[in-house]
Amino acid sequence: MNHEFVTTLIWLVPLPPLLAFFLIVLFTNRSKALSHTIAVGAALLSWLGSMIIFIAAVGEEYLGEHPFLSSINWLPTGDTFLQIGVQIDPLSAAVLFFVAWTILAIFVYSVGYHNFGQPKGDHDQPGLPPHGATVTDAHGHKHTVLSVEPMYSRFFAFIGLFAFGMYTLVVSDNLLTLFVGWEIMGLCSYLLIGFWYGKPSARNAAVKAFMTTRVGDVFMLLGLAFLYSATGTLNYREIFYNQVTLDALAKATTPFLGMSAAGLIGLLLFIGTVGKSAQWPLHAWLPDAMEGPTPVSAMIHAATMVSAGVYMVIRIFPLFTADWGGYELTTTMAIIGFIGAFTAFFAATIAVAQNDIKRVLAYSTISQLGYMIAALGIGAYVAAAFHLITHAFFKALLFLGSGSVIHGMEHGVMHTGNRKVDPQDMMNMGGLRKKMPITFWTFLIGGFALSGFPLVTAGFWSKDEILADAFVHSHWAIFITLALAALMTAFYTMRQITLTFFGAPRTEEAEHAHETPWTMTLPLVVLSVFAVGYGWVGIPEHFPLIGGLIPNWFHEFVGGTLLKHPKPVDFNIVPLLTSLVVALGGLGLGWLVYKDFKAGQPDPLEKPLGFMYQVLKNKYYFDEFYGHFIIKPVVWLSEVFTSKWIDKTAIDGILHAFGFATDGLGHTFRIYLDAPVINGVIGDGSYRLTQWAGKQLRFIQTGRIQAYLATALAVALVLAAAYFFLA
Amino acid sequence: MDFISTHLLTTILFFPVVAALVIFFIPGDQVKTIRWTALIASLVPFGLSVWLWFSFDPNKPGFQFEEIYPWYEAIHSSFHLGVDGLSLTMVLLTTLLTPLALLASFNIKEKVKAFFMLFLFLETGMLGVFMALDLLIFFVFWEIGLVPMYFLINQWGSSNRNYASLKFMIYTMGGSLGLLLAIQMLGVLFQTYDLVTLYERWTTLEGTLMGMPVGTVKAVSFWAFVVAFAIKVPVWPFHTWLPDAHTEAPTAGSMILAGVLLKLGAYGFLRLVLPLYPAESQYFAGWLAFLAVMAIIFGALGSFGQTDFKRLVAYSSVNHMGFVLLGIAAAAKASGTLDATIALNGAVLQMFNHGLSSAGMFFLVGVIYERTHTRNLDEFGGLFPLVPVYGGILIFTSMASLGLPGLNGFVSEFLVVRGSWAILPGFTAAAMIGLLMTGAYILKGVRKVLHGPMNERWAHGEHKLTEINAREIIVMAPLMVLMLVLGIWPAWLLDVINKAMTLLF
Amino acid sequence: MVPLSWYLILAAALFSIGLFGVLSRKNAIAILLGIELMMNAVNINLVAFWRYANPTLMAGQVFTIIVFAVAAAEVAVGLALVISIYRRHNTVVAEDLNLMKW
Repeated sequence: MNHEFVTTLIWLVPLPPLLAFFLIVLFTNRSKALSHTIAVGAALLSWLGSMIIFIAAVGEEYLGEHPFLSSINWLPTGDTFLQIGVQIDPLSAAVLFFVAWTILAIFVYSVGYHNFGQPKGDHDQPGLPPHGATVTDAHGHKHTVLSVEPMYSRFFAFIGLFAFGMYTLVVSDNLLTLFVGWEIMGLCSYLLIGFWYGKPSARNAAVKAFMTTRVGDVFMLLGLAFLYSATGTLNYREIFYNQVTLDALAKATTPFLGMSAAGLIGLLLFIGTVGKSAQWPLHAWLPDAMEGPTPVSAMIHAATMVSAGVYMVIRIFPLFTADWGGYELTTTMAIIGFIGAFTAFFAATIAVAQNDIKRVLAYSTISQLGYMIAALGIGAYVAAAFHLITHAFFKALLFLGSGSVIHGMEHGVMHTGNRKVDPQDMMNMGGLRKKMPITFWTFLIGGFALSGFPLVTAGFWSKDEILADAFVHSHWAIFITLALAALMTAFYTMRQITLTFFGAPRTEEAEHAHETPWTMTLPLVVLSVFAVGYGWVGIPEHFPLIGGLIPNWFHEFVGGTLLKHPKPVDFNIVPLLTSLVVALGGLGLGWLVYKDFKAGQPDPLEKPLGFMYQVLKNKYYFDEFYGHFIIKPVVWLSEVFTSKWIDKTAIDGILHAFGFATDGLGHTFRIYLDAPVINGVIGDGSYRLTQWAGKQLRFIQTGRIQAYLATALAVALVLAAAYFFLA
Repeated sequence: MDFISTHLLTTILFFPVVAALVIFFIPGDQVKTIRWTALIASLVPFGLSVWLWFSFDPNKPGFQFEEIYPWYEAIHSSFHLGVDGLSLTMVLLTTLLTPLALLASFNIKEKVKAFFMLFLFLETGMLGVFMALDLLIFFVFWEIGLVPMYFLINQWGSSNRNYASLKFMIYTMGGSLGLLLAIQMLGVLFQTYDLVTLYERWTTLEGTLMGMPVGTVKAVSFWAFVVAFAIKVPVWPFHTWLPDAHTEAPTAGSMILAGVLLKLGAYGFLRLVLPLYPAESQYFAGWLAFLAVMAIIFGALGSFGQTDFKRLVAYSSVNHMGFVLLGIAAAAKASGTLDATIALNGAVLQMFNHGLSSAGMFFLVGVIYERTHTRNLDEFGGLFPLVPVYGGILIFTSMASLGLPGLNGFVSEFLVVRGSWAILPGFTAAAMIGLLMTGAYILKGVRKVLHGPMNERWAHGEHKLTEINAREIIVMAPLMVLMLVLGIWPAWLLDVINKAMTLLF
Repeated sequence: MVPLSWYLILAAALFSIGLFGVLSRKNAIAILLGIELMMNAVNINLVAFWRYANPTLMAGQVFTIIVFAVAAAEVAVGLALVISIYRRHNTVVAEDLNLMKW
C-alpha cells in the first residue's frame, strides 16, 4: 500500500470523533437521532481508517525498523523545535486494532443502552438516570417502560471526545501527545463518571477519579520534563529505539536512591500509570467510577483508558530496562513488578466479596492490569502486550454484558414497579440464562476468557505466557502471587456467572428480565469472537500438540517493536499445569460454592472467612484511610491553615498592624500636634490675627476719595523726603 | 494612514484617552451611546495592535516601531516608546481584553459615563507600561493604571469595596515608592532614563552617587524593583491584597485586574530585573523560586479553602502566576541556556494564557453572581440542568485554567516545568503539589456550582436562574477560541515569544 | 531759549493747583476739573522733555496725544457718571456718596 497514503490516514484517524464532538455540542444536540448518527458514523470512519492502517502495518515486513512516521514542528524552543507527529509501529498497530474494535462496539452499544427509540420519561431530568415512562398499550393497559436518556446527545459528544483522546494516544509518536490524549481521556472520564451529576455519589466519584489519576499525572509530568531535559526529545524512536540515548540514560546517575536516570524517569512515568491504570495504592477511584453509565465503564474503565496506562509502560519498556542486565531486576523493575503482582492479588481478593455486578468487574480489571504491570516488571514485554489486548476484548465484553444484564433487570424493575430493588446487585438476580440467552453465552465466553479457561479462550494464552515467563526466569514471589490471583479470578468469575445466570430467579424482577435490543447484543457477539479468537495468534511455538500449527504471529510482530527482539520463553510444563489447575480449580470451586445459593441467604463465604469477609467487603478500608489521613488533613490545611491562619491571621495581621500603627500615629499627631499647634496656633491663630487687624484697620477705609488721595499724597511726601534725606 | 503607520504605538496608546474625552461630552443619560462608543473605541486599538502584530518582524533584534519625543529634557527623560516580542504579546493581550471587559460591563447601571471613561484611561495606563522604553515614562504609566482601578473597585465594587480598594491602592503604592526611588537613582547616575541606552551602558558605567559606588546603587535598586514587582505579581507572601481586590471589584474590573494588571509585575521582572541585574538575579534565584513555589502551593491550597466562588478564582491567580515566577527564577539561575529559554517561553506564554483563562473565569463568576446575587458556593448546587450552555462554558474555561492538555494552560505549564526542572529540580518537584491542588480547587468549583442535587431555590419563581445571554456568550467566545487555538497550535504566538526571549537573554 | 526748568516749574505749579482742587473741593465736577489740570501738567512735561531731551523721536508727542484722548474719554465718562448720580441722589457732593463705606 502507498506509504504516503497510510501516513496521511494516520493523521486523520483521531479526527472524526473530535469533529463529531464539536458538531454535536454546537449544532445537533437537540436531535438525538442526528447526534448518534454522527457519533457512530465518526467511530465507523475511524474504525475503517484503523483497519486499513492495521492491514498496511501487518503487510510491512520490517515495520519495527521502519514504522510509518510523520511529524511536524509544534513548539519552538530556542533554536530547535519540539516535534510532534504520528507513528505506527507494530505495538501501536496491535493496540490500534483492539481500540478501534472496542470503541466501535461500544458506540453502537450505547445507542441501545440509553434506550434510543423509547419514549421520553415522565419525570426524567438531565443529570439523573432515566426513571421510566408510562405508556398505554392498545388494550388501554398502562405499562412502565424504560425511558430514553435525557442527555442522550451529550453522551455521544463526550464519548466522541474520549475516542479522539484514545486514538491520539495510540497514534502519537511521542510522549507529549500521548500525555495530551491521556489527559483528554481523563477529562472525559471525569465527565462521564459524573454523567449523572445529579447523584452525589456520581459527582463525588468523578472528582475522586480525576484527582486520584492526577496524583499520578503530576509525577508523569515530572518524568516527561526529566526525560525531555535529559535527552532533548520526547519522540519514541529517538529515545527507545536508540541504543546511544538509552545507554547514556542508563549510565547517568541521580541522587535519588542511587537510581540511574533511566530508572528514575521510568519510575516517575510509571507512577502516572499507577494512577491511570488504578494500581495500588491509587486504585480506589476505579470501583467508584462504576457510577458512570455502563458503556463508559466498558470503554474507559476496562478496555481503553486504563489500558492506556499499561500501554505507556510497554512503550517506555526500553527505558526502564536500559540498565537491566537480563537477570537481577533493577530497582525500578522490582517496584513495578511488586506493585503489579500485589495489585493483581489484592484486587482479586476484594472482588470475591463484592455483590455489585459492575464492582466485581472493576476489581477484576484492577487485578488484571496488575497482571500486565507485573509482567512488565519482570521483563515479559510481549506477554504484557498480549494480555493487554486480550484483556481489553474480554473485559469490554464482560462490562457490556453486565450492562446488558442490568438493562434486563431494569426492565424487570419497571415491570414490577418496585424501585427498591437494585438492578446491579447480583443477589437479586439468578436464572437469567433463559431470559437473556445471548447475553448469557457471550458473558460466559468473556468470563471463561478472564478465568483463563484452557486452550480455547484468549485469556488462557496470554495469562499462561506471563506465568511461564515468571517461572522460567525464577521470579518465584511474583509467580506464586500471580498464580494465586489467577485462582481467585477464576473463583469470583464463576461466582458472578453462577449468581447471575444459574439457579432460579431470586426476585420477581429477575423473573421479568428481558433480552436487550440488537444494538446491545451485536457488540457482545462481535467482542466474544475476539475474546476467543485473539488468543490463537499468540500460541507459543513449543506448546505441546498444537504449538506451531498456527505461527506465533503476535510475538514476532510486536516483538519487532523493540531494538533487541525479545526471545520467546522456553516451554516448561510447571507453569502450564499451574494455570490449568488454578483456572479449572477456581471455576469449579466457584460453581460448587454458589450453585445452590438461595434468595435471602448470607453469602456462603461469610462464615469461613470470618472478619476477613467484612474487611474484604469494605475494600480493606482504603477509602476510609484516605479520607482520614489525606483528604481531611488537606481540607484542614487549605481551609484553616492557609486561608485562616496564614493569610487572614498572619499576613493580613501584619498588614493590619501596619495600618493600625499608621492610624495611631496619625491620631497622635492630630491630637497633640495638629489640633493644638498647627490648627490652633498657626491656622486659627493667623485667621484671628488677620480678623483683628482688619477690624482695627477698617476705619481707614473712609470711602472718600479725597481722603485716599490725601493719604497717598502724604505717603508720597514721606517717601520723597526719606529718599531725599537718606539716599 | 501614513501618520498612523509611523505613529502606530502612540495611536494605540492614546486612542482610548481620546475616546474617553469624546465620551465626556456625551450626556450622562445617553447610556446606550456611551456604551457603544466605548466599545467601538476600544476595538480600534485592538485592530491596530493586530496590524502591529502582523507588521512586526520577530527576527529583528532590539525594539521596533520606536518613537521618541522630547519630554523632560532637563533631566534627560524622553517620551520613548517601542515594542519587542515580549511587550507586543502583552499589548495584544491588553487590547484584546479591554473590549471584552467593556462588553461585559454593559450591565453597569450607575454612573455609566464615569465607568467607561475610567476604563479607557485604565487601558492607556496599562498599554503605556508595556510600551515605555524610558524608566520615568514607565513609572508614570505604572501609577496611572492604579487610579482608575482604585475608583472602579471603590465605586462599582461589592460590599467590602472600601477596604479592598484601599488595601489595593496603598499596598501597590507602597511597593512603587521604592520603584520611583530606584528609577531616580539610576537616572541621576546614568544621566538618562532611556532603557535602550541603559541596557548598553549598564555594565561599563563607573562612578558614584552620593558617595555610594555603582555596585551599591545597583543592589539597592535591585531590591526596590523586586519588591515593587513582587507585590504586583503578586508573590507569596505579598499576595493578600489580591483576593480582596479581585473579589470586590466589578466583573470587568476583575477581568482586567487578573488578566492584565498582574502581568505588569511579571513584565517588570522580565523587562527590568533580569536584563539589568543578571548577577543579583542569579544569586537570589533560589529565593525567588522558593517564593514562587510557595505561591503555587499556598495559592492552590488557599483557593481550595474558599467558600466564595470569586475568591476561589482570585486565589487561583496566585497559583498560576507562581508558575510565571518559577520560570523567571529558573531563567535567572541559568541565564542563556536552552533550559532557561524554554522556561521563559513558558513563563511568558503562561502570562498570556492566564490572562485569557482568568478573565474568562472571573466573567463567568460575574454572570452567575449577577443572577443570583450570591457568590457562596454552598448556596449553588446542581445548576447544570438549568443553565446547560453556561455550564458547558464554565467547564471548558475551568479546564483551560486547570491546564488540561489540548487547551492553552497546559502548553505553558509544561514548558515552565520542563525548563525549570533542569535548573531547579527540587523546587519544580515541590511545585507539583500545587499543580495537583489546582485540580482540586477547579473541580471543587465545578462540583459545587454545577453538579450534585439541584438547589430548588434557583429552579422556580423570582429567583429562577436564566441562561447566559447572547452578549455574554460573545464575550466568552473569543476567549474560548483562543484557549483552544493556543492549546492546539501555540506556535504562532510562541514563535514570537521564543525569538524575543532568545534575543533578549 | 527758555530753559527746561521753567517749563517744569510751570507744570509743577499747574499740577499742584490741580491736586489742591481735587483734595479740597466737594463738588464732583470740580474734582474732575482738578484731575484734568493734573493731566495737562503731565502733558507739559511730556512735550518739554521731548523738545529738550530728544527732539528726533516722536514718543513725547505721541504720548501727549494719547493723554488727550484719555482725558477726553475720561471727561465724557466722568461727566456722564456725575449726571447719573445727580439724577439718582440729587447731589454732586462727593462726601455724600458713601454707599460703599463700611
